[in-house]
Amino acid sequence: MKNLFKGNLVRLSAIDHEEIGKTLSRHGRDSELMRLMDIGPTRLHSAKAASKFFEKMIEENSPAHHFFSIRALDDNRLLGDINLDAINNWGSRDSFVGIGIYERENWGKGYGSEAMQLILQFGFIELNLRRVTLTVFEYNPRAIRSYEKCGFHVEGRMRGRIIKDNKRWDVLHMGILREEWMEKNHDE
Amino acid sequence: MKDIYRGSLVRLADDSPEVLAKSFAKWDRDTEQHRLADSDPAQLWSEKKLKEFLEKRAENNSKSFRFSIHTLADDTLIGGVGLWINSWTHADTWLGISIGERDYWGKGYGSEAVRLAVQYAFLELNLRRVSLGLHAYNERALKAYEKVGFKLEGRMRGEGLRDGVRFDSLWMGILREEWLAAQGA
Repeated sequence: MKNLFKGNLVRLSAIDHEEIGKTLSRHGRDSELMRLMDIGPTRLHSAKAASKFFEKMIEENSPAHHFFSIRALDDNRLLGDINLDAINNWGSRDSFVGIGIYERENWGKGYGSEAMQLILQFGFIELNLRRVTLTVFEYNPRAIRSYEKCGFHVEGRMRGRIIKDNKRWDVLHMGILREEWMEKNHDE
Repeated sequence: MKDIYRGSLVRLADDSPEVLAKSFAKWDRDTEQHRLADSDPAQLWSEKKLKEFLEKRAENNSKSFRFSIHTLADDTLIGGVGLWINSWTHADTWLGISIGERDYWGKGYGSEAVRLAVQYAFLELNLRRVSLGLHAYNERALKAYEKVGFKLEGRMRGEGLRDGVRFDSLWMGILREEWLAAQGA
Protein backbone atom coordinates (compact mmCIF):
# COMPACT_ATOMS: atom_id res chain seq x y z
CA MET A 1 0.00 0.00 0.00
CA LYS A 2 1.21 3.50 -0.83
CA ASN A 3 2.09 6.18 1.68
CA LEU A 4 -0.97 8.41 1.93
CA PHE A 5 0.99 11.27 3.43
CA LYS A 6 3.50 11.70 0.62
CA GLY A 7 3.19 13.23 -2.85
CA ASN A 8 5.77 14.36 -5.42
CA LEU A 9 6.32 17.89 -4.17
CA VAL A 10 5.00 17.90 -0.63
CA ARG A 11 4.15 15.73 2.32
CA LEU A 12 1.58 16.09 5.07
CA SER A 13 3.24 16.18 8.45
CA ALA A 14 2.33 16.36 12.11
CA ILE A 15 2.12 19.87 13.45
CA ASP A 16 4.50 21.37 15.97
CA HIS A 17 2.54 24.03 17.83
CA GLU A 18 5.55 26.27 18.47
CA GLU A 19 6.77 26.13 14.89
CA ILE A 20 3.35 26.80 13.39
CA GLY A 21 2.57 29.49 15.98
CA LYS A 22 5.78 31.36 15.20
CA THR A 23 5.36 30.99 11.44
CA LEU A 24 1.71 32.01 11.34
CA SER A 25 2.31 34.98 13.61
CA ARG A 26 4.96 36.20 11.16
CA HIS A 27 2.94 35.55 7.99
CA GLY A 28 -0.24 36.82 9.61
CA ARG A 29 1.27 40.30 9.34
CA ASP A 30 0.43 40.05 5.65
CA SER A 31 -3.25 40.96 5.64
CA GLU A 32 -3.70 39.61 2.11
CA LEU A 33 -2.81 36.09 3.25
CA MET A 34 -5.32 36.32 6.11
CA ARG A 35 -8.03 37.62 3.79
CA LEU A 36 -7.49 34.69 1.44
CA MET A 37 -7.72 32.22 4.30
CA ASP A 38 -10.47 33.56 6.49
CA ILE A 39 -13.77 35.37 6.26
CA GLY A 40 -13.60 37.17 9.62
CA PRO A 41 -11.94 40.53 10.16
CA THR A 42 -8.20 40.05 9.96
CA ARG A 43 -6.44 40.13 13.35
CA LEU A 44 -2.89 40.00 14.63
CA HIS A 45 -1.75 37.27 17.01
CA SER A 46 1.54 37.02 18.85
CA ALA A 47 3.63 33.88 18.32
CA LYS A 48 2.81 32.93 21.91
CA ALA A 49 -0.94 33.26 21.46
CA ALA A 50 -0.86 31.37 18.16
CA SER A 51 1.18 28.47 19.53
CA LYS A 52 -1.09 28.28 22.58
CA PHE A 53 -4.07 27.99 20.23
CA PHE A 54 -2.48 25.08 18.37
CA GLU A 55 -1.26 23.46 21.57
CA LYS A 56 -4.83 23.42 22.83
CA MET A 57 -6.04 21.98 19.53
CA ILE A 58 -3.50 19.14 19.78
CA GLU A 59 -4.52 18.45 23.40
CA GLU A 60 -8.19 18.27 22.47
CA ASN A 61 -7.29 15.61 19.92
CA SER A 62 -10.71 15.58 18.31
CA PRO A 63 -11.27 12.35 16.35
CA ALA A 64 -13.13 14.30 13.68
CA HIS A 65 -10.52 16.98 13.08
CA HIS A 66 -7.39 16.25 11.03
CA PHE A 67 -4.83 19.03 10.94
CA PHE A 68 -1.53 18.71 9.06
CA SER A 69 1.41 20.88 8.22
CA ILE A 70 2.47 20.92 4.57
CA ARG A 71 6.22 20.49 4.03
CA ALA A 72 8.33 20.59 0.86
CA LEU A 73 9.85 17.21 0.02
CA ASP A 74 13.14 18.67 -1.25
CA ASP A 75 14.21 20.64 1.85
CA ASN A 76 11.50 19.87 4.41
CA ARG A 77 10.59 23.54 4.84
CA LEU A 78 7.19 24.42 6.24
CA LEU A 79 4.89 25.66 3.43
CA GLY A 80 1.46 25.84 5.03
CA ASP A 81 -1.30 23.87 6.64
CA ILE A 82 -4.37 21.91 5.63
CA ASN A 83 -7.21 20.62 7.76
CA LEU A 84 -10.15 18.34 7.24
CA ASP A 85 -13.10 18.38 9.56
CA ALA A 86 -15.29 15.30 9.21
CA ILE A 87 -18.90 16.16 9.88
CA ASN A 88 -20.51 12.88 10.72
CA ASN A 89 -23.81 14.60 10.68
CA TRP A 90 -26.17 11.66 11.13
CA GLY A 91 -24.77 9.62 8.32
CA SER A 92 -24.00 12.46 5.91
CA ARG A 93 -20.24 11.59 6.01
CA ASP A 94 -19.58 15.08 4.74
CA SER A 95 -16.47 17.06 5.61
CA PHE A 96 -15.06 20.53 5.39
CA VAL A 97 -11.55 21.29 4.17
CA GLY A 98 -9.40 24.40 4.60
CA ILE A 99 -5.89 25.13 3.33
CA GLY A 100 -3.30 27.92 3.45
CA ILE A 101 0.12 28.34 1.85
CA TYR A 102 1.82 30.99 3.93
CA GLU A 103 4.45 32.69 1.81
CA ARG A 104 3.70 34.61 -1.33
CA GLU A 105 6.75 33.15 -3.06
CA ASN A 106 5.26 29.66 -2.61
CA TRP A 107 1.90 30.57 -4.16
CA GLY A 108 0.98 29.27 -7.60
CA LYS A 109 3.60 26.49 -7.65
CA GLY A 110 1.36 23.49 -7.22
CA TYR A 111 2.14 22.90 -3.54
CA GLY A 112 -1.40 23.64 -2.42
CA SER A 113 -2.99 21.60 -5.20
CA GLU A 114 -0.93 18.56 -4.33
CA ALA A 115 -1.63 18.91 -0.60
CA MET A 116 -5.33 19.10 -1.46
CA GLN A 117 -5.07 15.95 -3.59
CA LEU A 118 -3.38 14.17 -0.69
CA ILE A 119 -6.06 15.16 1.77
CA LEU A 120 -8.84 14.13 -0.61
CA GLN A 121 -7.23 10.74 -0.90
CA PHE A 122 -6.93 10.57 2.89
CA GLY A 123 -10.59 11.57 3.28
CA PHE A 124 -11.96 9.13 0.75
CA ILE A 125 -9.82 6.03 1.28
CA GLU A 126 -8.75 6.36 4.92
CA LEU A 127 -11.74 8.08 6.53
CA ASN A 128 -14.23 6.67 4.00
CA LEU A 129 -16.00 10.00 3.61
CA ARG A 130 -18.81 10.55 1.18
CA ARG A 131 -18.15 14.13 0.21
CA VAL A 132 -15.74 16.99 0.84
CA THR A 133 -16.94 20.58 0.93
CA LEU A 134 -15.12 23.90 0.93
CA THR A 135 -15.80 27.59 0.64
CA VAL A 136 -13.67 30.10 -1.25
CA PHE A 137 -13.97 33.80 -1.88
CA GLU A 138 -14.60 35.39 -5.25
CA TYR A 139 -11.39 37.43 -4.95
CA ASN A 140 -9.27 34.25 -4.84
CA PRO A 141 -9.35 32.98 -8.45
CA ARG A 142 -6.05 31.13 -8.03
CA ALA A 143 -7.60 28.93 -5.33
CA ILE A 144 -10.76 28.35 -7.36
CA ARG A 145 -8.68 27.12 -10.31
CA SER A 146 -6.67 24.86 -8.03
CA TYR A 147 -9.80 23.33 -6.47
CA GLU A 148 -11.29 22.72 -9.90
CA LYS A 149 -8.08 21.00 -10.92
CA CYS A 150 -8.50 18.71 -7.88
CA GLY A 151 -12.02 17.79 -9.02
CA PHE A 152 -14.23 20.12 -6.98
CA HIS A 153 -17.39 21.49 -8.60
CA VAL A 154 -18.89 24.89 -7.85
CA GLU A 155 -22.21 24.09 -6.19
CA GLY A 156 -23.30 27.50 -5.13
CA ARG A 157 -22.51 31.14 -4.86
CA MET A 158 -23.69 33.23 -1.94
CA ARG A 159 -24.01 36.58 -3.64
CA GLY A 160 -22.35 39.48 -1.88
CA ARG A 161 -21.90 37.44 1.29
CA ILE A 162 -18.82 39.35 2.37
CA ILE A 163 -17.86 42.99 2.35
CA LYS A 164 -14.19 43.95 2.10
CA ASP A 165 -12.65 47.20 0.90
CA ASN A 166 -16.17 48.59 0.77
CA LYS A 167 -17.16 46.13 -1.95
CA ARG A 168 -19.42 43.10 -1.94
CA TRP A 169 -17.87 39.72 -2.85
CA ASP A 170 -19.47 36.33 -3.43
CA VAL A 171 -18.62 33.25 -1.39
CA LEU A 172 -18.43 30.12 -3.55
CA HIS A 173 -19.26 26.68 -2.16
CA MET A 174 -17.57 23.76 -3.84
CA GLY A 175 -17.95 20.04 -3.36
CA ILE A 176 -16.59 16.73 -4.56
CA LEU A 177 -18.42 13.42 -4.18
CA ARG A 178 -16.77 10.14 -3.35
CA GLU A 179 -17.79 8.55 -6.65
CA GLU A 180 -16.40 11.49 -8.65
CA TRP A 181 -13.05 11.19 -6.92
CA MET A 182 -12.97 7.39 -7.23
CA GLU A 183 -13.61 7.54 -10.94
CA LYS A 184 -10.67 9.87 -11.48
CA ASN A 185 -8.15 8.54 -9.00
CA HIS A 186 -8.64 5.05 -7.86
CA ASP A 187 -8.27 2.54 -10.62
CA GLU A 188 -6.80 -0.38 -8.70
CA MET B 1 -43.73 54.72 11.56
CA LYS B 2 -45.42 51.40 10.99
CA ASP B 3 -45.46 48.52 13.47
CA ILE B 4 -42.79 46.19 12.10
CA TYR B 5 -43.95 43.28 14.26
CA ARG B 6 -47.36 43.10 12.59
CA GLY B 7 -48.52 41.88 9.20
CA SER B 8 -52.03 41.19 7.94
CA LEU B 9 -52.25 37.52 9.08
CA VAL B 10 -49.66 37.20 11.84
CA ARG B 11 -47.63 39.13 14.37
CA LEU B 12 -44.18 38.41 15.80
CA ALA B 13 -44.22 37.89 19.55
CA ASP B 14 -42.20 36.68 22.48
CA ASP B 15 -43.49 33.88 24.70
CA SER B 16 -42.25 32.56 28.01
CA PRO B 17 -40.36 29.24 28.15
CA GLU B 18 -43.45 27.64 29.76
CA VAL B 19 -45.71 28.56 26.86
CA LEU B 20 -43.14 27.67 24.19
CA ALA B 21 -42.28 24.33 25.80
CA LYS B 22 -45.91 23.28 25.68
CA SER B 23 -46.18 23.97 21.94
CA PHE B 24 -42.73 22.60 21.07
CA ALA B 25 -43.53 19.32 22.84
CA LYS B 26 -46.71 19.04 20.79
CA TRP B 27 -45.08 19.96 17.44
CA ASP B 28 -42.12 17.62 17.93
CA ARG B 29 -44.46 14.64 18.05
CA ASP B 30 -45.07 15.28 14.35
CA THR B 31 -41.93 13.95 12.59
CA GLU B 32 -42.95 15.35 9.22
CA GLN B 33 -43.00 18.82 10.77
CA HIS B 34 -39.58 18.18 12.28
CA ARG B 35 -38.04 16.89 9.06
CA LEU B 36 -39.17 19.92 7.10
CA ALA B 37 -37.67 22.31 9.62
CA ASP B 38 -34.53 20.57 10.83
CA SER B 39 -31.71 18.32 9.66
CA ASP B 40 -30.94 16.79 13.06
CA PRO B 41 -32.58 13.46 13.88
CA ALA B 42 -36.09 13.71 15.30
CA GLN B 43 -36.11 13.53 19.08
CA LEU B 44 -38.76 13.59 21.75
CA TRP B 45 -38.19 15.86 24.71
CA SER B 46 -40.50 16.20 27.67
CA GLU B 47 -42.15 19.54 28.29
CA LYS B 48 -40.03 19.90 31.42
CA LYS B 49 -36.76 19.30 29.60
CA LEU B 50 -37.80 21.73 26.86
CA LYS B 51 -38.66 24.39 29.41
CA GLU B 52 -35.25 24.07 31.08
CA PHE B 53 -33.53 24.19 27.69
CA LEU B 54 -35.46 27.30 26.68
CA GLU B 55 -34.77 29.06 29.99
CA LYS B 56 -31.06 28.49 29.58
CA ARG B 57 -31.20 29.59 25.94
CA ALA B 58 -32.92 32.84 26.87
CA GLU B 59 -29.96 33.81 29.07
CA ASN B 60 -27.46 33.55 26.25
CA ASN B 61 -28.98 35.56 23.47
CA SER B 62 -26.49 38.00 22.03
CA LYS B 63 -26.35 36.72 18.46
CA SER B 64 -29.89 35.63 17.80
CA PHE B 65 -33.29 37.26 17.47
CA ARG B 66 -36.12 34.78 17.93
CA PHE B 67 -39.82 35.36 17.65
CA SER B 68 -42.89 33.26 18.04
CA ILE B 69 -45.61 33.62 15.43
CA HIS B 70 -49.18 34.39 16.50
CA THR B 71 -52.23 34.63 14.26
CA LEU B 72 -53.90 38.01 14.29
CA ALA B 73 -57.37 36.43 14.05
CA ASP B 74 -57.36 34.56 17.38
CA ASP B 75 -53.81 34.92 18.74
CA THR B 76 -52.96 31.23 18.27
CA LEU B 77 -49.25 30.38 18.62
CA ILE B 78 -48.51 28.59 15.33
CA GLY B 79 -44.70 28.54 15.00
CA GLY B 80 -41.43 30.42 15.29
CA VAL B 81 -39.02 32.43 13.19
CA GLY B 82 -35.53 33.58 14.06
CA LEU B 83 -32.43 35.36 12.86
CA TRP B 84 -28.96 34.11 13.75
CA ILE B 85 -26.28 36.69 12.99
CA ASN B 86 -23.58 35.13 10.85
CA SER B 87 -21.32 38.10 10.93
CA TRP B 88 -21.81 41.69 12.03
CA THR B 89 -18.74 42.59 9.97
CA HIS B 90 -20.31 41.39 6.75
CA ALA B 91 -23.82 42.26 7.99
CA ASP B 92 -25.25 38.83 7.14
CA THR B 93 -27.71 36.68 9.05
CA TRP B 94 -29.24 33.21 8.83
CA LEU B 95 -33.00 32.95 8.92
CA GLY B 96 -34.93 29.94 10.13
CA ILE B 97 -38.66 29.34 10.38
CA SER B 98 -41.11 26.61 11.14
CA ILE B 99 -44.87 26.50 11.34
CA GLY B 100 -45.55 23.82 13.92
CA GLU B 101 -49.32 23.80 13.51
CA ARG B 102 -50.09 21.82 10.35
CA ASP B 103 -53.47 23.49 9.90
CA TYR B 104 -51.60 26.66 9.01
CA TRP B 105 -49.39 25.17 6.27
CA GLY B 106 -49.74 26.47 2.73
CA LYS B 107 -51.94 29.42 3.68
CA GLY B 108 -49.47 32.28 3.63
CA TYR B 109 -48.80 32.46 7.38
CA GLY B 110 -45.20 31.31 7.05
CA SER B 111 -44.49 33.57 4.07
CA GLU B 112 -45.71 36.57 5.98
CA ALA B 113 -43.65 35.67 9.06
CA VAL B 114 -40.55 35.39 6.83
CA ARG B 115 -41.39 38.75 5.31
CA LEU B 116 -41.62 40.33 8.75
CA ALA B 117 -38.34 38.75 9.86
CA VAL B 118 -36.55 39.96 6.70
CA GLN B 119 -37.96 43.43 7.25
CA TYR B 120 -36.68 43.32 10.84
CA ALA B 121 -33.23 42.29 9.58
CA PHE B 122 -33.03 45.15 7.09
CA LEU B 123 -34.87 47.98 8.86
CA GLU B 124 -34.14 47.32 12.52
CA LEU B 125 -30.80 45.48 12.53
CA ASN B 126 -29.54 47.31 9.41
CA LEU B 127 -28.12 44.09 7.96
CA ARG B 128 -27.18 43.81 4.29
CA ARG B 129 -28.00 40.21 3.48
CA VAL B 130 -30.25 37.39 4.73
CA SER B 131 -29.31 33.75 4.05
CA LEU B 132 -31.25 30.55 4.58
CA GLY B 133 -31.01 26.83 3.94
CA LEU B 134 -33.63 24.20 3.19
CA HIS B 135 -33.98 20.57 2.17
CA ALA B 136 -34.59 20.03 -1.55
CA TYR B 137 -37.70 17.95 -0.75
CA ASN B 138 -39.39 20.94 0.88
CA GLU B 139 -40.88 22.42 -2.29
CA ARG B 140 -43.53 24.39 -0.48
CA ALA B 141 -40.86 26.27 1.45
CA LEU B 142 -38.84 26.92 -1.71
CA LYS B 143 -41.90 28.55 -3.30
CA ALA B 144 -42.61 30.62 -0.22
CA TYR B 145 -39.03 31.92 -0.03
CA GLU B 146 -39.04 32.78 -3.74
CA LYS B 147 -42.27 34.69 -3.21
CA VAL B 148 -40.59 36.75 -0.50
CA GLY B 149 -37.71 37.54 -2.89
CA PHE B 150 -35.00 35.02 -1.98
CA LYS B 151 -32.91 33.71 -4.87
CA LEU B 152 -31.68 30.14 -5.10
CA GLU B 153 -27.89 30.33 -4.84
CA GLY B 154 -26.64 26.81 -4.35
CA ARG B 155 -27.26 23.11 -4.08
CA MET B 156 -25.04 20.84 -2.00
CA ARG B 157 -25.40 17.53 -3.75
CA GLY B 158 -26.37 14.55 -1.62
CA GLU B 159 -25.68 16.34 1.64
CA GLY B 160 -28.35 14.59 3.69
CA LEU B 161 -29.62 11.06 4.17
CA ARG B 162 -33.15 10.20 5.23
CA ASP B 163 -35.16 7.01 4.80
CA GLY B 164 -32.09 5.60 3.03
CA VAL B 165 -32.24 8.25 0.30
CA ARG B 166 -29.68 10.97 -0.34
CA PHE B 167 -31.10 14.45 -0.73
CA ASP B 168 -29.66 17.84 -1.70
CA SER B 169 -29.47 20.85 0.57
CA LEU B 170 -30.33 24.19 -0.97
CA TRP B 171 -29.46 27.64 0.13
CA MET B 172 -30.90 30.99 -0.78
CA GLY B 173 -30.14 34.63 -0.19
CA ILE B 174 -31.61 38.09 -0.47
CA LEU B 175 -29.60 41.31 -0.57
CA ARG B 176 -30.66 44.52 1.08
CA GLU B 177 -30.69 46.41 -2.21
CA GLU B 178 -32.94 43.78 -3.85
CA TRP B 179 -35.36 43.92 -0.96
CA LEU B 180 -35.43 47.73 -0.93
CA ALA B 181 -36.07 47.83 -4.69
CA ALA B 182 -38.98 45.39 -4.30
CA GLN B 183 -40.53 47.53 -1.54
CA GLY B 184 -40.52 50.57 -3.77
CA ALA B 185 -42.33 48.70 -6.55
